[in-house]
Amino acid sequence: MITLSYVTSVIIFCIGLYTIMARRNLFKTVLGLALMESAILLIIVSSGYIPGGVPPIEPFMGPAVNPLPHAFTLTAIVIGASDIALALAFIIKLQRHYRSVDLDRIRGLRG
Amino acid sequence: MSLAFMVFLYLFLIATALVISAIGDILSAVITLSVFGILLATAFAILQAPDVALTQAVINSGIVTALFLVAFSQTERPPCYDKEEEKEE
Amino acid sequence: MNIRPFLFRITALFLCAFLGVMLFRGIAAMPPKESVTGPAAHYLERASRETGARNVVGAILFDYRAFDTLGESTVIFTAVCGISMLFSRRKFHRSSSGLSFIAKRGIGIMAPFLIMYATVIILFGHISPGGGFQGGTIFATVTVLLCVVFGSSFESSYFPPKTKESLESGGALLFCGIGLVGLAAGTGFLSNLSAGFPAGREGSLLSAGTIPLLNIAVGMKVGAGLSAIFYSMIKMLDTTNDYREGGPIR
Repeated sequence: MITLSYVTSVIIFCIGLYTIMARRNLFKTVLGLALMESAILLIIVSSGYIPGGVPPIEPFMGPAVNPLPHAFTLTAIVIGASDIALALAFIIKLQRHYRSVDLDRIRGLRG
Repeated sequence: MSLAFMVFLYLFLIATALVISAIGDILSAVITLSVFGILLATAFAILQAPDVALTQAVINSGIVTALFLVAFSQTERPPCYDKEEEKEE
Repeated sequence: MNIRPFLFRITALFLCAFLGVMLFRGIAAMPPKESVTGPAAHYLERASRETGARNVVGAILFDYRAFDTLGESTVIFTAVCGISMLFSRRKFHRSSSGLSFIAKRGIGIMAPFLIMYATVIILFGHISPGGGFQGGTIFATVTVLLCVVFGSSFESSYFPPKTKESLESGGALLFCGIGLVGLAAGTGFLSNLSAGFPAGREGSLLSAGTIPLLNIAVGMKVGAGLSAIFYSMIKMLDTTNDYREGGPIR
C-alpha cells in the first residue's frame, strides 16, 4: 500500500510539473503548484505509515504510526495556503497592470 | 482498509489531477481542485493521520477554493481601475 | 512556427516523465519500516508522561518543536503583511448587499454552531485530533461565509480589520510570552512541564501545561491571518462589481 501511495504521488507531482511548464495561464501555474505541494504531502505522510498502525493518539490500541511526518505536514499545509494566497495576490496585481493573465502576452507587452 | 478501495481512491485522485491539468476552463479546474483536496483528505485519514486529514479538508475545500474564486472573478474582465472613486453623500 | 509549441510540449512531457522515474527510484530506496524508529519512537513512548497531552502530534507541535511552530506562524504573518501592502491602495470601499433572504437566515442559524465547532477543535487540541491550526482555519471559513452571504461591510462591522490585526498580534505576543515564562523559570524558551506549568489529570480539559494556551495563541493567529487575507482580497472585488453594474446595489 505504501508503494501504491508513492507511485500515485510521483504521478501527481509529474502532472503538476507539466502543468507549470506547458501551460501559459498564470492560474494554471498556481494550480500546478498546489498539485505538486499535495503530492509531496502524500509522500511524507505515507512514509510514516506502518501496516496495521493506529493514529498517534493515546491510549494506543496497537502499534502507532509515526507522528513526526504528521507534524511536519500540518505546518506545510498552512504555509502552502498562505503561499497560494500570496501568489494569487500577485496575479491580481499583474492583471491590473498588464490587463492579461497570459504569460506570453505579459512577456510581450513589457511596460 | 481494503486494497481495492485504496486503488480506486488513488485512480480517482490521478483522474482529478489530470482534469485540473488538461481542462481549459479555470473555474472548472478550481472546483476540481477542491474535489482533489477532499479525496486527498480521505487518503490521509486512511493512512491514519486524522490531524492532517482535518487540516487538509478545511484548508483545501474552504480557504484555498474561496481565494481562487475571488482572484478569478477579479481577473476575468478588466475592472474599471482608472475611474476615480466618487465620494458617497 | 506552428510546430514549436507542440515540440515544446513533447519535450516538457519527456522531461517530466524522466524526473518522475528518478524521483520514484529515490523514494523507493527508502527502507520499508515495520516499526517506528528514531526520535519518533521516543515521542510515542514518553509524550503523555513528559507533556501530559494525549495527542502526540499536538505534543510534538507545541512542546518538542514549538519553536518551529513560532516560525511557521511568522510565515503567515509575512503573507498577511505582503497581501495587505499589495492591496493597500484603496482606502474606501463599498459592499455588495449579499445573497437572498433564505441564504442569510440559514447562515445566521448555522454560524454560531460553526464558531462553537472551531472553539471545541481549538480547546480539545491536546486530547483529540485538532488544534490551533485546524480551529483557526474553521474560524476563518466562518468569516468567509459571512463575507459571501451578507456582503463584506456586514462582515467588517462584526469582525473589524482592526480587531483581526490586534487578535493576530495578540496571538504572537501570547506565544512569545509563554515562551519567556519558561526562560524566566531557568529551563529554556518554550519549555513546558519542566518550567513548572501544572500537568493536570491526563485526558481532562485543563491539562498538558502550556499546550492548550499555545493552541489558543496559534488559533488566534491563523484565524485572524487567513480571514484578513480573504477580506483584503474581496474588498476590491466588491468595488469592481459595483462599477460593472453601474453603481452600488443598495
